[in-house]
Amino acid sequence: MSHSDYSFTVDPAALGLPSRDELVDMRIWDSHYHGTGSHEEIVKYIKRMGIERVISLDIGGGVTSEDPERDKRHRSLLKEWRKLLSGITRIDPGYPHKSLKKMERWIRNGPCIGIKYSGLIELDVTCDHPNSDPIIELAEELGAVIYIHTWIKVGGNPRYAGGGNYTGESTPMDVAKLAERFPDVQMICGHQGGDWELGIRAIRPHENVLLEFSGALPTSGAVDLAVNELGTDRLVWGGHGPSRSYANELSKVYDADLSDEERMKIFGTNYRRLAAPIMREKGYSVKI
Amino acid sequence: MSVNRRRFLKKSLWGMTATLGAPVSGILQKFDRSDDTEPVAPEGLVIDTNVHISEWPFRDLKYSETSAMVDKLRKHGIREAWTGSYDALFHKNIDSVNARLAEACQQEGEGLLVPFGTVNPRWPDWKEDLRRCDEAYGMPGIRLYPGYQNYTLELPEFAELLKEASGRGMVVQIAIDQEDERMQHPRVEIPAVDVSPLPAVLESVPDVTVQLLNPFRHVRGDNLESVIKETDVLFDISNLDGNGGLERIMAGNHWYLGSTPIPSARLLMGSHVPFRPVENVLFKLMESALDEEDAAAIMSGNAARMLRTA
Repeated sequence: MSHSDYSFTVDPAALGLPSRDELVDMRIWDSHYHGTGSHEEIVKYIKRMGIERVISLDIGGGVTSEDPERDKRHRSLLKEWRKLLSGITRIDPGYPHKSLKKMERWIRNGPCIGIKYSGLIELDVTCDHPNSDPIIELAEELGAVIYIHTWIKVGGNPRYAGGGNYTGESTPMDVAKLAERFPDVQMICGHQGGDWELGIRAIRPHENVLLEFSGALPTSGAVDLAVNELGTDRLVWGGHGPSRSYANELSKVYDADLSDEERMKIFGTNYRRLAAPIMREKGYSVKI
Repeated sequence: MSVNRRRFLKKSLWGMTATLGAPVSGILQKFDRSDDTEPVAPEGLVIDTNVHISEWPFRDLKYSETSAMVDKLRKHGIREAWTGSYDALFHKNIDSVNARLAEACQQEGEGLLVPFGTVNPRWPDWKEDLRRCDEAYGMPGIRLYPGYQNYTLELPEFAELLKEASGRGMVVQIAIDQEDERMQHPRVEIPAVDVSPLPAVLESVPDVTVQLLNPFRHVRGDNLESVIKETDVLFDISNLDGNGGLERIMAGNHWYLGSTPIPSARLLMGSHVPFRPVENVLFKLMESALDEEDAAAIMSGNAARMLRTA
């Protein structure tokens, strides 16, 4: 049996789920997309689940990886899929000068709309290191979206929350320190630190920090806590495909006790508010 | 207290009839964006094989109150939920855990909750616990937590337990994990279950019906391939992730779970409620393009068959 992209064997309503039309009405922007390597294959899932736009975090690869062919392919992807795909580029506070050069190339003089602090950092330099200061200052000047990967992995001896992090992998506590130095710059704390009960509280006092919560299996009640502590204006949504499913990430929001208007903020409105100025500079028509 | 096991089985056999005996088109439909018909099966489409009651030891879960959880499951088309107890993770008086589970399943949900007690083969008198699950509480299966109950699948008593359960016609569920190990409380370190001994163990107990719960975070690569190829073990899809994960695991082209296809006949709905949102497992049916036969099997047909054949 063949299926069109938009047909479903089981009526979503019979399962208490929104229809695809209702998902489309949510105007969902996926702020955490890892699909540039298989984009054509993933598009069918993006469309099937009614996602309006995806933002790749991998444009131009890592700071220290030179790969002109990859860069050419990424620029081509962004151009070809402009109506669906945007991109931000990775920086690394361990290499501030290279990071600044990459931002000039990919943001000021290129198609990207922001930066990502990656989870795979070569040196033991987290986002709160002074090396970040010129990076954040340039991002502010460019109006670039700032996304920071964070996790709090239990580990160490004795074990503690964060003791299992990779070298240089930032925590929400590191984001809080950075945010305190730049209170007028908005930044996204990615993955809610994984250990969301701690991550949400770590950034709570810093109004300039938004929370993104993709990248782990869903836990019932997690978005409710984030809403209670941070409010709906500080949450943005990510899909983390293709390694995570839209099922996984959508369920986190539909599990929470929210109105449709609140869901829309989380699914897209908040990110659009953040990204609209730089996107408009680059010629996108962005309706908040 | 005694629970009539036939009561649980009857409901399950109803499910089997609905999904295998009755025309499939009666419960499933082609649904496209222009179709605004009413839900076709308000009585519930899904047998959820992975639900718990009682208190998760480390957090007050949103739907930890059984009545609230039952309402939530019904709202989302679940008609039957195979239910264990979180008390099984750390309590030593296993029989008390099982008795309370059976009672709760009888008192709440009007037949929605089907109790799956636990047995710890590490502890004395476990055969009596198993007997009570079967004969006193009418449970159609048991749920094992080797990570929490602290044994490996190489334990000789584990194989013995499988034989005993098989002899009683009981399904055996093995919970691979409960939560992401990266987020565990620093004072506990619960390993995921290593399934590498399972194919060899099952060679000596070929007739037992075994299901893995929460398998796909840790059962991957060679381990997954050998379980697929060398056993008849079934898998719940609670933590089957990745874009289009369900259609891709059946096609053998999942993003990171290897190239060995898992046929729909071996996949089961499992929500891991109340720890995870029930919407997670249900959205998987929407994200993947499934044909009616596969959808019917995964949603309830396979579960109903398990209880019939165990």
